[in-house]
Amino acid sequence: MPDLDVLVVGGGPAGAVAAWQAKEAAPELEVALLERDRAVGSPVRCAEGVGDAGLREFATPEGADWAARKITRVIFLAPDDTEVKVAERDVGWVLDRTRFDAHLAAQAATAKAEVLVGTEATGMTRAADGRWHVRVKHRGAEEIYRARVVIGADGVEAMVGRWAGLDTRVPARDMESCAQYVLQGINCDPDAIYLQFGDRIAPGGYAWIFPRGIGVANVGLGLVALKTDGRNARAYLDDWVARRYPTAARTGFTVGGVIVHTTIKRTYADGVMIAGDAAHMINPLSGGGIVNAMKAGRLAGCTAAAAIREGDTSEKRLASYHKAWMDLLGDDHLKHYRIKQALEDLDDSFFNGLARTVNGIPPEKRSLGRIFAHALVKHPQLIPVAARFFL
Amino acid sequence: MRRVTPAEIAVVDLAVCDRCGLCLPLCPPESIHLELNVLTVDGTTCTGCEKCVGPCPVGALAMVANA
Repeated sequence: MPDLDVLVVGGGPAGAVAAWQAKEAAPELEVALLERDRAVGSPVRCAEGVGDAGLREFATPEGADWAARKITRVIFLAPDDTEVKVAERDVGWVLDRTRFDAHLAAQAATAKAEVLVGTEATGMTRAADGRWHVRVKHRGAEEIYRARVVIGADGVEAMVGRWAGLDTRVPARDMESCAQYVLQGINCDPDAIYLQFGDRIAPGGYAWIFPRGIGVANVGLGLVALKTDGRNARAYLDDWVARRYPTAARTGFTVGGVIVHTTIKRTYADGVMIAGDAAHMINPLSGGGIVNAMKAGRLAGCTAAAAIREGDTSEKRLASYHKAWMDLLGDDHLKHYRIKQALEDLDDSFFNGLARTVNGIPPEKRSLGRIFAHALVKHPQLIPVAARFFL
Repeated sequence: MRRVTPAEIAVVDLAVCDRCGLCLPLCPPESIHLELNVLTVDGTTCTGCEKCVGPCPVGALAMVANA
């Protein structure tokens, strides 16, 4: 095993797609996918919601065991609980990430990439032979894997980037602290996701209800610690759940960090590319990262395959990965980040007022453009937000 | 290496820590490590900035006197 062309660290959506696409683009290459935990897709640290169009670039949800629920509506809840229904079409899906991640890893395995679970990379150094020597621990033993290209898809921790000398740190104001329960026996629209904003509910972020089935949902929130009253995300969530669903059974709990910043300045180094959460490739407005991760994984996998075939895995060659990502989505995230900053200046009374304005528009005429136009007229506080959008 | 010895440094309560890794990118001197499912704070490089403490979703990090 130790001699590889492509070593992918991390078996989530970014890593699995990177391994799959690298092997598919260049079947002659030796490609391995490392997963630290004993099973791909576990533990789940995710609200599991994904947009329909992006998902379909990689997998077909109809009839799939990894698709928990189709979502056709979005219901925004203002801080005062005013409900606003916005969309009624193919919005997206709530996934079963344990199965979905396994499905993607199986795609990599079918393409003949090696999938190694319970296998953790713990460090790496650039050797004189121009390869990365990666320290790998598996069942208590340590081994060195040599690789021409290492793809870091190791999530929020982003150790591969750190080992390669890239800056993967994030300021505290751009870190969402998230906590989530799986709640059973709750009364909510099973075809809708709910998003609630509010300084006392989830300061700097939002709370969500993502149904996994009838009466079962991922119920969680993300907040920015700097904006809180000192309590942590779990305490805020306990309050919200106690108010909305005091009798529900809590059958799961998870926590995690979502980086709501923009792509790291450099996602590549000699023989290294960073993809997904590890490179902060998350929509800073929505906090969504699954489709972004798969798209970045595809770019990284294909770039690795082409670069190895050309015999040039230098930093200069791999810069094309960074540019392709920025053209695809990274530049959009810069724009989303500016909107996020502008929205931070608005308070609960603004959102309560906005909810009533939108509810004044007949549902069939509630297009995003019309909402925006109405909102701008009635709520001049939005003008700086709009201005940032066009900057 | 840090230049001044901080009065307090961060420590993790492993009985509370969920190993989510959120605190790692928040640490300016990169003193927090997660390996083989154990989170550690390197007390010799921690600057006591406290940036990791508030964001922990379960409150597993706290400041203690730097002995």
